[in-house]
Amino acid sequence: MNIWPLRFRDLGRGSLLFADDAGGFFKGTEDFLDRYALNALTDEDQAFLHEGGHTFQRELDLSYLGFAYRWCARQAPRRQLGYVILVPTLRCNLTCSYCQVSRAPEGARGFDWTEDTLDAVLAFIGGLAAPEIKIEFQGGEPLLRLDLLERVRDFCRQRFGKAEFVVCTNLQAVSAEAWDYLAAPDTFISTSLDGDAVTHQRQRTRSTELTNAFFGNLDRAIEQFGSSKVSALPTIDIERPPAVDEIISSFVDRGLRSIYLRPINHQGFARRGRDPDVGLDRWNAWHAAFIEHLIERNFRTGTILEEYYFSQCLKRVLRAGADEHVDLRNPNFFASDYLVIDHDGVLYPTDEARMQSRIGRIDLSVGHVHHGIDTEKVATLNAASCNNFDPDCIHCPYQPFCGSDLVDDISRYGRIDLPKQATWFCRRHTSLFDKVFELLYRRDEATRFSLSRWADLESWPEHLVREHQ
Amino acid sequence: MIPLRFAARSSQPEPFVMRLNAEVRAYELDRTGLRTEFDGDLVEVAGQRLTYASPRGTLVIEGTTAEEVDGDVVLALPGGRAAQRLIRATSPHNTFLITERCDQLCLMCSQPPKHHHADLLPFFEAAALLAPAGMTIGISGGEPLLYKAALLPMMQRVLTHRPDLGFHVLSNAQHIDEDDLDPLVGMRDRVLWGIPLYAADAATHDRIVGKSGAFLQLMETLPIFARAGASIELRTVIMRENAALLARLASFVIMHLPFINRWALMQLESIGFGRQNWDRLFFDHSTEFTPIADALNIAKARNVEAVLFNFPRCTVPQPYRDRAPSTISDWKRRYLGECSGCQERDICGGFFEWYPEDRGFQRLARI
Ligand code: SF4
Ligand code: SF4
Repeated sequence: MNIWPLRFRDLGRGSLLFADDAGGFFKGTEDFLDRYALNALTDEDQAFLHEGGHTFQRELDLSYLGFAYRWCARQAPRRQLGYVILVPTLRCNLTCSYCQVSRAPEGARGFDWTEDTLDAVLAFIGGLAAPEIKIEFQGGEPLLRLDLLERVRDFCRQRFGKAEFVVCTNLQAVSAEAWDYLAAPDTFISTSLDGDAVTHQRQRTRSTELTNAFFGNLDRAIEQFGSSKVSALPTIDIERPPAVDEIISSFVDRGLRSIYLRPINHQGFARRGRDPDVGLDRWNAWHAAFIEHLIERNFRTGTILEEYYFSQCLKRVLRAGADEHVDLRNPNFFASDYLVIDHDGVLYPTDEARMQSRIGRIDLSVGHVHHGIDTEKVATLNAASCNNFDPDCIHCPYQPFCGSDLVDDISRYGRIDLPKQATWFCRRHTSLFDKVFELLYRRDEATRFSLSRWADLESWPEHLVREHQ
Repeated sequence: MIPLRFAARSSQPEPFVMRLNAEVRAYELDRTGLRTEFDGDLVEVAGQRLTYASPRGTLVIEGTTAEEVDGDVVLALPGGRAAQRLIRATSPHNTFLITERCDQLCLMCSQPPKHHHADLLPFFEAAALLAPAGMTIGISGGEPLLYKAALLPMMQRVLTHRPDLGFHVLSNAQHIDEDDLDPLVGMRDRVLWGIPLYAADAATHDRIVGKSGAFLQLMETLPIFARAGASIELRTVIMRENAALLARLASFVIMHLPFINRWALMQLESIGFGRQNWDRLFFDHSTEFTPIADALNIAKARNVEAVLFNFPRCTVPQPYRDRAPSTISDWKRRYLGECSGCQERDICGGFFEWYPEDRGFQRLARI
């Protein structure tokens, strides 16, 4: 019998997590590890491994093909460009504390698409092969150029079988025309809601008047369009996080059930003098406590709230194909299924890459809308976009579930060759997956209630996760 | 029940295939130049007696209307006293019974095997070529692959001539080997293979299918289907025999058969051996859904699509109802008194014609 290589990690109290390259995993003991390492597996060990799909007898037998299929399903990259992030203007009517680089003052000139750029953008989108398209309008504040939004939407609606639009807006000043625009069933709103009103004001709006305007608009949007058309993302300053209960009630009271907690990512001069990893341990601990809070609350109330990113990690552990989140995929090929077009027509693989380029740290642009994608540069970036062969990740049981984010490494450390365990990305995901596996092996009803709903199951089935004595 | 056979009078003692065309269809065939030698046009109607004439012979069919059978393909049976409907033009449920022979003897077989075999393959081929556009045709038995040497080339020919058609083959998959890889590859997007697996352990599976070594043979043949990239619908009839083992089977499926297109969990059909052994086999999921829920959730957690076949919707707990599509073929489907006024009747498959009401589901209530 052949055993696919197993990686392992100490889970404490004498037990270890074992996982193979295809994402099959189980909990085992130190004794089992000894037997595995010393090639002294018992018949029971072998039967257990065989049942779990960790072995094969000969090439191309059923177990072999099952493993190969599961491995391939996890690697299969999305190859059709069908998601385009557009920055029609860099101008904004707010000055959020941590957003110095991706904005220009509201009255500035030269930060909007020209007529020429608009034409090129439409020609570029029109040339895509995908049958469906998703457009995300970013900024700056995209509602400042409602005219451009209208023209892009009109074009996409007639060009594609299905088109969806997300407007990432601060909901600060919404004109009557903008409300009409947002009312369309194919158009969605994404905004920021930094927990409670006090925090939101401190980090974003700065004045009570603006804060009230924002909450007024947010409530109106939800009331008028329903909570399924609105998503709100809190950006958390781990040095001054709002109270967990406050965050939750800001969301629940508005009928919002998915909360995507993001730590502030300082950019440009706001970062100078800061240790790039300040607050990481605090963040991990705070986030884990937030998850526990949700579990307790969900069980008590019988309703479900999720932390979006945690659910994403959970789904990635359980199955292939949970690739919706662009920062958590492997391989994470650049400019393959989504792309950013900046206010000046420059193409970037991600929004973060756009910021890094803007502050002059490194030029991560991958072409221009006039000339198309620079495939050579994309290939260079792609060479570093898999975790499969990373000298640290190959030893990590979380590798099949984890992703790779080389732009984040560049942004924080200016290089991509640090030992993984020294990076924010790795330490954050190690902590996240530790939490996922801790919960997967808990047996209490409260945990199972939340886990099942987060994984889109009706209830938590016995025997879903395996344990070897 | 919708009749699959009519009393008939044929001008020929030998069997032959005819497509039945009422007036509009006949004109259309002339206009488009698509008329074939198998096309028979309606020439006389006398009450419920319809006379059709084709270059191959004349056929009088009794007990139906010209609208009802318009576009159907029938086989005038030997002796010329009856006509079998091979293709019903308006139905999605058309199945060719390739043979009644089988090398397994399943506890719940709905069509217990017989030794006698009549080769109707050439008639099926003609009928398939006359099928309405876009149809998926069922191929069943007995065990159809006992005749794979003739069947696979026949399917290939039909699929080549009719790029719009597909097949859904029900086979025990015991008779595929390396040599069949090429034909399987050639048909992979157009043929769905319905293959039964009843348990993750050889003893239980073999006992249910009445053939020792069947499980091991499947472990040899399933990889061939997988390597060909064939579309597979794994089928598991749930019985008392295997209900408690379902979660284990689910774990087996997600790890060793993750490439299947879907996994069908099926309720028992009370006909053939299923009727004889009903009391011993019937597992009433309406009072005990947990093993099925576990299997569905294990599959869903790992991205394997699992569906419930032949499950009346009201017997399924609400959160799982959407996985119970209407699957009982129209010609053998019925509803109970209970169903009148039910809001989900239109999307519910109801019951088999031969469902034993007094020994069936304990929990049934219109929705
Ligand atoms: S980045 Fe870290 S957590 Fe992720 S696979 Fe690599 S070593 Fe593991
Ligand atoms: S009452 Fe009849 S129609 Fe309604 S769900 Fe039950 S079986 Fe189906």
